Amino acid sequence: MTSSRPLSSYVTLGLALVVWAILPFVVPRHVADLLVFTGIYTIAGLGIGLLLGHCGIVNLAQATFYGIGAYASAYCTVMLHLPALTGFALGAALSMALAWLIGRPILRLTGYFLALGTLALSAIASALFFEWDWLTGGTLGIGGIPKLDLLGFALDRPSRYYFLVWIVAFACMAVAANLVDSRTGLMLRAMRDSSTAAAALSVDLQSLRTRVFVVCALFGSLAGSLFAHHASFVSTQSFTVDRSINFLLIPVIGGATSIPGIVVGALFITFLPEFLSKLGDFHQILFGLALVAVVVLVPDGLMGALGRLRKRRVAAGNGHGG
Amino acid sequence: MTLSLVLQAIFAGVTNGIVYALVGMGLSAIFKGSRVINAMQGEFSVVGAMTTVLLLTKAGWPYPAAIAAGALAGALLGAGLELAFVRHMARKNASEDSFLLLTIGLALTLSAGTLFFVGRDGYLLPPFGEGVLIVLDAVIQFHALWLIAIGIGATLALRAFFHRTSVGLSMMAASIDADGAATTGINVARMRTYTFFLGGLLGALGGILVTPLVAVDYQLGLNLTLKGFAAAVLGGLTNPLGAAVGGLTLGLVESLAIIGISSSYKDVVAFTVLIVIMILMPNGILGRAGRRGG
Amino acid sequence: MAAEPLLALREVGHAFGGLSVLRSVTFDVPEGGIVGLIGPNGSGKTTLFNIVSGYIRPNMGAVLYRGTPLGRDTIQQRGLAGLVRTFQTPQVFEQMTVLENVMVGVTKLTRTSMLQDLLRTPAARGQMREIRERALAACERFQLAGLRDVPAASLTAGQRRILEIARAVVGEPRLLLLDEPSSGLNAQEIENLRDWIVRLNEGGMTVLLVSHDMGLMTVAPMVHTLYFGEIIASGDMAAIQRDARVREVYLGV
Repeated sequence: MTSSRPLSSYVTLGLALVVWAILPFVVPRHVADLLVFTGIYTIAGLGIGLLLGHCGIVNLAQATFYGIGAYASAYCTVMLHLPALTGFALGAALSMALAWLIGRPILRLTGYFLALGTLALSAIASALFFEWDWLTGGTLGIGGIPKLDLLGFALDRPSRYYFLVWIVAFACMAVAANLVDSRTGLMLRAMRDSSTAAAALSVDLQSLRTRVFVVCALFGSLAGSLFAHHASFVSTQSFTVDRSINFLLIPVIGGATSIPGIVVGALFITFLPEFLSKLGDFHQILFGLALVAVVVLVPDGLMGALGRLRKRRVAAGNGHGG
Repeated sequence: MTLSLVLQAIFAGVTNGIVYALVGMGLSAIFKGSRVINAMQGEFSVVGAMTTVLLLTKAGWPYPAAIAAGALAGALLGAGLELAFVRHMARKNASEDSFLLLTIGLALTLSAGTLFFVGRDGYLLPPFGEGVLIVLDAVIQFHALWLIAIGIGATLALRAFFHRTSVGLSMMAASIDADGAATTGINVARMRTYTFFLGGLLGALGGILVTPLVAVDYQLGLNLTLKGFAAAVLGGLTNPLGAAVGGLTLGLVESLAIIGISSSYKDVVAFTVLIVIMILMPNGILGRAGRRGG
Repeated sequence: MAAEPLLALREVGHAFGGLSVLRSVTFDVPEGGIVGLIGPNGSGKTTLFNIVSGYIRPNMGAVLYRGTPLGRDTIQQRGLAGLVRTFQTPQVFEQMTVLENVMVGVTKLTRTSMLQDLLRTPAARGQMREIRERALAACERFQLAGLRDVPAASLTAGQRRILEIARAVVGEPRLLLLDEPSSGLNAQEIENLRDWIVRLNEGGMTVLLVSHDMGLMTVAPMVHTLYFGEIIASGDMAAIQRDARVREVYLGV
């Protein structure tokens, strides 16, 4: 089978791009707002997906780095009156440094110890965000975070900010895809399938895990900074353990090994609360049930199930199994 | 650092420690019996406590009856969830991660459900016995003394249950060697359900006992789960009675560490202890050959 | 002047708890040779193997590789130095294709930083091409080319074994440690395996082989028999089978 893509797939891609470009202008404002969040959550979820799908690691600490990114952006722009880029950079640097420092000991754990370790980390961070109100403003938070502007365009409404967020999201998706298809990606999948054999082939498991954890933290921080400039106001409620669990839902529901799956998962966690907004805080219950349902019924997420369906159809078409 | 401050911290530590011990014993019993890490253990505490609160305040039940009902609610919830989900997944030979995600999902559901049905407020229960005891300027509530006594009683009862009753012995046998137990006629699947019943009962008991001291709200569950897990790990995950020692240790470390620092760092201390002991002492301080995580 | 052995075990001993599993094990593996370890279950073969490959640190004695003690070298470090092992049950990467499995074996010969991989720099792309080419060549050599894109999970036991060996060999090891390589294989597959060992050795590969299969063991000109952690006989298979002590232990004669 040759690797040249058929014309039809280029056409589909082109159409998708057009739809993507006009979407924020044709939907109501609050939907455009949700689409911005979808982009932000896609970025945060990509990192978790890499860890879950390629390393077999359940990372429940993402709200920590999301929060660091958000507070760094808030602090730099509101308190220190520095340009927005410093907030992004500071958040990224702090998140990666913390991920490196904490990652090395914690990632020596495996399985549920590791998962619960990251959960404990998120709980600690949430408590500290609350306690250190001289830095974060506590529950009162930090407000007045300025909107960004790009090349002179003020990105002051969702239909404009959408483009910045999604361009960053596409860049992150490209980077994640690069990683998966690279030498590092090979070693990650080897580690996931059999860490014993991977070690026997001189794959440095510990170093790999830590590095991917750092990349995940970077994505979390970027998402947090983008969130800060979108919401204009950040406070501790956005960075609790529940948020970490929601981020975990993204690859679990959409499929951890597929990058489009992350978008599906992000759409799910963004739009579901919207559909259920009349019921108040009911959406968290459904998130919990959705997680349960997926774990019990469709362990590799929607994209995984789709992948299996496609394989079955191909196999049936070829008249024999692989 | 005066003596009375230290004594006060010890009182607080032992009191909290017993609660952590109960939650931890339930978690450890469930792990020992089913190899499932129950991330919703703390939710059993919340459900038990909330049931008691609602029956007492809204339905006007007498206190002892409400307590019994609350404990039973936790137990039935545990058994129910095992029957509905765990059994199915165990049959499919699901991975450890899947079980963990399952219990995390259930924990989220229960916590969100509590928020939805009961709201954000915290609720208190009336204490067993009014008044306080003062020793060298350190204060301990009578309820706390009751809590400690009941906690010790529960630990001893659990020990007797596992070692003396036939159900308890069967549960132990089923967890050590499922196939061997099955050949002697023990219904391994049913033992697992009983294990979850027991875990739910212990969790609920812990929740009910602590609610006169600390208001129970929808967020308490996660907090108790993590601390219960720390207690269980400290005691050696496969040793439910070890969790009693673990819980006390955690409670004391927590309270003593924050002498002089604001008490709002209590959770930070406890969760840091959890991370540290998982890394340094995965088999717990009793050093029994439990199973390393993962 | 005698060449230095590639691998040398000197008085290696190990005990688990109070139970002594290996006692004063001493032997050489000459460069370019094939050495076998045989013995009944519980003789300590597996423990010895785990010690040489780095999974266990021995209580006593030393393992020297190219003259220097291995000491605290990790499994990965030993692999990079050329000491590679396979496992009794072939540990293939189930969800990856045969080609990808072999590609993992090549990764240790190349170097990219994660940053290069994240950004897909020309250097990273070049390394991937090289990895793929080497893996393709190895698949040809080991007659796996037809199974290239098949997920490893669908392979038979014999195919898994060959894949595992191919994957180990593509990383250009100097010493190949084969742990019960015939386990799970039928007679035809064992024959095929034997041929491969001979071929690899003729190409310069040094092999240390653990097996309970006496037929396969004939491929090794020097075999050491382990019994309760001690070497009780050494020689080629014919000599071993004539040895009085071995007969006593195996046949009760």
